Amino acid sequence: MTDTLLFYLLVASFLWAAGLHGLIVARHVLRRVIAVNIMTAGVFLALVTLAARAPEPDPVLHALVLTGLVISVSATALALHLGTAAFSTEKPEPTTR
Amino acid sequence: MNFALVSLSIPLFTGLLLLMIPRYGGPWVVLSSTLSLAAAVASLVEVVDSGNQAVLLGGWPELLAIRLHLEPINALLLAFTALIQLLVSLYWSRNCRNDGFWALASLLHATLAALWLSGDLFNWYVTLELLSLVSVSMVALAGKDSIKPALNYLFLSLLASLCYLLGVAIIYGRYGVLDFQILSRMTVGDTSTAMAMLLMTLGLMVKGALWPLHLWLPPAHSRAPTAVSALLSALVVKGPLFILTLLWTRMAPMELTDKGGEFLAVMGVFALLVGGWCSFRTPLLKEMVAYSTVAQLGYVMLALGLMLQWQLRETLVALWLFVLAHGLAKTSMFLAAGEMQRIFGNKRVTALRGASQTAPVAMFAFAVAGGSLIGLPPSGGFLAKWLLLEPLFYDLQRWPLAFAVLLSTLVSAAYVFRIVTLAFDRAERGQAPSRDRVSEWLALLPALLVWGMALVSEPLILWLTRVAQ
Repeated sequence: MTDTLLFYLLVASFLWAAGLHGLIVARHVLRRVIAVNIMTAGVFLALVTLAARAPEPDPVLHALVLTGLVISVSATALALHLGTAAFSTEKPEPTTR
Repeated sequence: MNFALVSLSIPLFTGLLLLMIPRYGGPWVVLSSTLSLAAAVASLVEVVDSGNQAVLLGGWPELLAIRLHLEPINALLLAFTALIQLLVSLYWSRNCRNDGFWALASLLHATLAALWLSGDLFNWYVTLELLSLVSVSMVALAGKDSIKPALNYLFLSLLASLCYLLGVAIIYGRYGVLDFQILSRMTVGDTSTAMAMLLMTLGLMVKGALWPLHLWLPPAHSRAPTAVSALLSALVVKGPLFILTLLWTRMAPMELTDKGGEFLAVMGVFALLVGGWCSFRTPLLKEMVAYSTVAQLGYVMLALGLMLQWQLRETLVALWLFVLAHGLAKTSMFLAAGEMQRIFGNKRVTALRGASQTAPVAMFAFAVAGGSLIGLPPSGGFLAKWLLLEPLFYDLQRWPLAFAVLLSTLVSAAYVFRIVTLAFDRAERGQAPSRDRVSEWLALLPALLVWGMALVSEPLILWLTRVAQ
């Protein structure tokens, strides 16, 4: 493994750990959304770095990252929506018992 | 295999259709889960007759394609999911006042079916994510009060997925394969594999609410609408457990199983005792049922741990029996709790004073389901517990564990009987509450099924022993 790859893997694990720390420590919804996204970026960076090990890049890992991006965007959207609902002043009508 | 795919696609298309046209959700979901149940039973018969099957999606070669595979256990879980879905939607179509529920319930069913059928680590990540997105939305259906628990649930489950995904990345970096059946022939007990197994296990433990990572479960499950609580407790927590079981029993290298098994067994014992104690102490009815889920999942962890540590095949059978018995019993318990909460208009346990006279059928459902959770014969819970205890008695070294299981039985008896004693107190005079007899009986139905499991116990155990590997 070359030094560049090792460097990227270290950055990836740092991002993952920083996101984890933020998610556990932070209380505000927006901070937690950002922390999750930093953590996600860490995992994706690790996957992309692993894909670049061989001279011919590994397409499977790229496909995984693409799928992961879609999931992470949807999860972020849901979290933002719920966060907005939690802090909106008007009371939505209770829909079920 | 075709029947299994049909059983997966029916709820998927029903869900998508209901998203577009959210009308008459109840009858549609009842119909779709009945059809899906029929297809799942057909696939179970097929797989028992002609052995394991697999299909590679999209015509891609192996290692690149998404592989769906069908074994007897997967087919059984497929049928079980459709059955619970049918029972819950029968109950809820009488009571539901929110059309959003039906589309989400169908999508939940489809996601679980996809989870049972997939067989590679990344696909499991995708289905786990879908599962948590759907369940979080369902928890938030209850309105303002449930949004904070839903949000907390979402963040914790995202954290868990990212732990799991990092583990998957390490496994792929080490072996270059994601299919767990191929991986099971390749894994060796080196540091990176151990690291990956640890990360994946922790992630799945958060998702499956296994003690001590269960803290999100009681608020989320108790604030959700009744039918959602039942689905979440009976089915959703079983998804991560299923993956955890497959990872440890099939994929983990021999060097790691010993330590992993010990860890899981100890955590299981703590879950049983601490979860049971919390369930005994809480003042709210649905929270009591939710904590009892945390406690009951301890049996599953204990069974898995024992299987790994001592290679006892009986405990694996006990594990699947626990999954089935707990699913049915917990469905009935949550539905009965919701029904009584509606009748008395109060969330507290103390509101149930005299419930045996004012809401006899719902209370009977609650008590019967509780009997299976305690493990009273002749119920599904008793079968599972007996299978778990039997090998523990043979060896003096294992007696502390047997003692812990017996103690946990006492604790679960304590939290169930706390409610039952209250219910047999004399009811206060006042106007009789309005009851809906049909929905009380619908709440009782799953509990009767779990006691019915005892009638077919011998063939069931023999069959499970043959197919569980």
